[in-house]
Amino acid sequence: MPYLGGEDTVRELRRALSNPNVQSDQLRYRNTILKVIRAMSQGVDVSGLFSDMVKACATVDIVQKKLVYVFLCSYAALNPELSLLVINTLRKDCQDPNPMVRSLALRNMTNLRLPSLMEYVEQPLTAGLRDRAACVRRVAVLGWAKLHNLQPNSEIDAAVVNELYSLLRDPDPVVMVNCLRALEEILKEEGGIAINKPITHHLLNRLKESDVWGQCEVLRILQRYRPQSEDELFDILSLLDASLVSPHPQVMAATLSLFLSLCSGLPAVSLAALERVRGPLLAACGSVSRELRFTALCHIQVSLLLRSLPGLMGAHYKRFFCGYAEPAYIKQRKMQVLVELVNDDNVTMLLDELKGYCTDVNTDTAQAAISAIGRIGRSYSDRCLEILTGLLALKQEHITSAVVQTMRDLVWVCPQCSDTVCLALEGCEETLQDSQGRQALLWLLGVYGEQVSSAPYTLEVFIDGVRSEVSLGVKMELLTTTMRLFLCRPAETQDMLGRLLHYCIEEEPDMCVRDQALLYYRLLHCGIEETQKVLQGRRSDPSLGVLIGRPSEPISQWACSFNTLEPLRQGTVETDSTSRGSPEHVTFEPKPNTDLSDTLNCSQVEKVPSGETGRTPFLARIHTDTHKPLFLASLPFSYPFNKCLCFYMPI
Amino acid sequence: MIGGLFIYNHKGEVLISRVYRDDIGRNAVDAFRVNVIHARQQVRSPVTNIARTSFFHVKRSNIWLAAVTKQNVNAAMVFEFLYKMCDVMTAYFGKISEENIKNNFVLIYELLDEILDFGYPQNSETGALKTFITQQGIKGQHQTKEEQSQITSQVTGQIGWRREGIKYRRNELFLDVLESVNLLMSPQGQVLSAHVSGRVVMKSYLSGMPECKFGMNDKIVIDKQGKGGASDEAGKSGKQSIAIDDCTFHQCVRLSKFDSERSISFIPPDGEYELMRYRTTKDIILPFRVIPLVREVGRTKLEVKVVIKSNFKPSLLAQKIEVRIPTPLNTSGVQVICMKGKAKYKASENAIVWKIKRMAGMKESQISAEIELLPTNDKKKWARPPISMNFEVPFAPSGLKVRYLKVFESKLNYSDHDVIKWVRYIGRSGIYETRC
Repeated sequence: MPYLGGEDTVRELRRALSNPNVQSDQLRYRNTILKVIRAMSQGVDVSGLFSDMVKACATVDIVQKKLVYVFLCSYAALNPELSLLVINTLRKDCQDPNPMVRSLALRNMTNLRLPSLMEYVEQPLTAGLRDRAACVRRVAVLGWAKLHNLQPNSEIDAAVVNELYSLLRDPDPVVMVNCLRALEEILKEEGGIAINKPITHHLLNRLKESDVWGQCEVLRILQRYRPQSEDELFDILSLLDASLVSPHPQVMAATLSLFLSLCSGLPAVSLAALERVRGPLLAACGSVSRELRFTALCHIQVSLLLRSLPGLMGAHYKRFFCGYAEPAYIKQRKMQVLVELVNDDNVTMLLDELKGYCTDVNTDTAQAAISAIGRIGRSYSDRCLEILTGLLALKQEHITSAVVQTMRDLVWVCPQCSDTVCLALEGCEETLQDSQGRQALLWLLGVYGEQVSSAPYTLEVFIDGVRSEVSLGVKMELLTTTMRLFLCRPAETQDMLGRLLHYCIEEEPDMCVRDQALLYYRLLHCGIEETQKVLQGRRSDPSLGVLIGRPSEPISQWACSFNTLEPLRQGTVETDSTSRGSPEHVTFEPKPNTDLSDTLNCSQVEKVPSGETGRTPFLARIHTDTHKPLFLASLPFSYPFNKCLCFYMPI
Repeated sequence: MIGGLFIYNHKGEVLISRVYRDDIGRNAVDAFRVNVIHARQQVRSPVTNIARTSFFHVKRSNIWLAAVTKQNVNAAMVFEFLYKMCDVMTAYFGKISEENIKNNFVLIYELLDEILDFGYPQNSETGALKTFITQQGIKGQHQTKEEQSQITSQVTGQIGWRREGIKYRRNELFLDVLESVNLLMSPQGQVLSAHVSGRVVMKSYLSGMPECKFGMNDKIVIDKQGKGGASDEAGKSGKQSIAIDDCTFHQCVRLSKFDSERSISFIPPDGEYELMRYRTTKDIILPFRVIPLVREVGRTKLEVKVVIKSNFKPSLLAQKIEVRIPTPLNTSGVQVICMKGKAKYKASENAIVWKIKRMAGMKESQISAEIELLPTNDKKKWARPPISMNFEVPFAPSGLKVRYLKVFESKLNYSDHDVIKWVRYIGRSGIYETRC
């Protein structure tokens, strides 16, 4: 934030700081320094005052000292030479009788983040480890971690590491936890702190003393421990039982995570632990703060229900009904959970509830509700289709689009629904506006063309408007659909197919579309049997299966990602995947990688605003398009695909 | 661990930024502003990932708080930490608003320095923090020897939340049982979901290091006592006891004692703090029942009749009652008739707001409205948002009763009888909705 008049402010502040009258009056001096900090937080560049501030550092007034340190820590990196002057004052403060001053000095010494000052810092840090005040020891322990972080490649002093290990037995719980954190960082190369039996037992016995943050840390680090005998394992588990039902959700989650990693060989025990956390988990889902509610829902959705224990939350499905004022992200999560909870007893109630969400003001929520109904439709198709057909009557643009997409996905899994779907499709092309919805409609027309009597007329409208069509996906889908329809109803379609191919090959500026058109054209030359072989592939994929009766996944599959950021991310990817082309692509989509470093990739996870697709650069669109590899895969003969770009075909 | 903490106003201007770890670059501040605060659509998740960095954000009134990290962390912990941070700031300077933050920025920097070190939470108890923070408590500038030794004893001692040597002329304590009732009811009057989340807030002005014991009508305790001896009492109190689904305590409560005997004993912090938080779902007294009747007369008229019935002792008075009846977007005019209170159609909020100052228990009141609609060719059906309600009642809807709070201080010469104790119950509406 550029701040107008910044230079004047700095000049004025410098004059005030160097004024001897101000310097002698403590209150005025302090107020001037306060002004400097205020200017700093407003974004004025006050780094020019560094030398004046260094002078102000030498004072007995703690308030002034703290203020100056805030300044110094922000600007030290810009003035390494001048910072050397501060070190002296700081080192003197480390000898102060007041423990607060000592800890303050030590903390700021390490916060300067200057590798050049390391040699001056080590001695006071070593002394700090043996200080009698716990608050100094806390700072000193973490100070070593900061020092190591500054120069990650430097040799680690074995004496320091030993000292830190021995400080694990410090009477102050925060010092103990800080030691864990420091060792974890310093020994990162060697896989973190070595966890053996005595350390584990010591940490477990003192778990209750530390605050919730410390408990989370300890529980996380203990995950690396492997008990030597079954007796020891069960001793640990019974010790941890109290924290498993801890009222603090973060401790509960950390304990559950530890439980699962300890019991990786004992699935029965893990299941019992899951049963035990049901109460606290449900409580977290109804928590007052929406962020926590979201976190809990993500964990339930991604780990517990979907995979291993479908029965765990079954009786509590009402807890996942949405409140009217809840933010969209919570509503969508709740719906995804509800889909997993459906069974014969509650299906009527659940569908009624979901139906209510379909007319939500937020279009994203409405579309999520519709696709949730579609997912339930895989097991209860009649009821769901009834609702979906009813929604089409509303003639709402976004609802119709979502319904058509949902129907397409449903038909792909349950081909027996196709009759109802085909009947419902009549007339909905008028309401469809967005490319996703039209693509879905086209796909359905292509695959079930012989059942929809008005299919050629609908297509004709599309083909007449192809010149003004902007969406690449729609054009590609249109080509395929027209080809498919031509195969089953040649008399009605022949003329428009010819027009479409002519347009696409002669006039279409987009290479992708032109290539596809050329390919189809040549395919037709090969004869009708060949064409049929290529185009009439599978109409459905029953292997995706219905929801009920799926074998439950072992807990170990998701245990490692429990209580991390992973579940919160996975959901985002899942909801984004609703915006894809044809259902065939579902099977080709790579499974979300559980390795964190990959999913952190921002291009995959970062939320692209829904309207963004139209603005992505042209080249990127071609490369991300899933049509091409798929099409190649289904070609019966090897075709020099990339060569046809420079191939000239007379028509 | 947390790499940095940022505070923004609603325009996205940075009010406070504190970076704890080097892996968080300066551009992280702007990345969040551009991608979340200035984003065109609504927030799609409270955790946003931008270029391999995770931003955990919480919004309080107009202020955004964001914790940034590059590690794969425990999400629940980071959010709990942000809430704690908000609590600490509220304890120091009241409501979290742009003005308060701007006025207290030095204090906030100081707090951020003490609460987190290298991104690890260190000390987050308001009481214990007070000795480390110099701002506002200007008396901190020249600390006496006595105070210095207190710091050491406090920092090394077991009781981090209370300092020694507190003296009051009058030993007094106040208990507030604050509850919020949440309800979702179907148009037919079927309860879809209902729960009470409550807090017990204590203001203690007690000398020395008092040992307190708190008792309430918790079902488990009462049943246990009933088995122990007084059998007729158990039968009587069986109705009055409540089942608590889950509860959280302030760190001063000895959890081991709670787990074994279910007794709540503690040495309280000085001043105001939250002793416990709890939640119940069974046998909730719903203070109000809303009966909606919506009738569509043709395409341009809507008749709404809403009856509210108060369902508690006639001697008690509910206050600040507000019923919000949503109206369709194409409303052109509204005529309202109500027997009690005042009702107004607020076009900007698309709702009829009916306010009643006071209402006794076991009463009934009614409002009827005729809503005229503009004819539209929009075929979209009106979503019929639920009717929501706000109120305040002087009892605990969960049925919780404070049975006793005993104070023992062995070293000083005051006993349980000398302490003046107060308790009050306030039940407020949380999300109290009836579908229509």
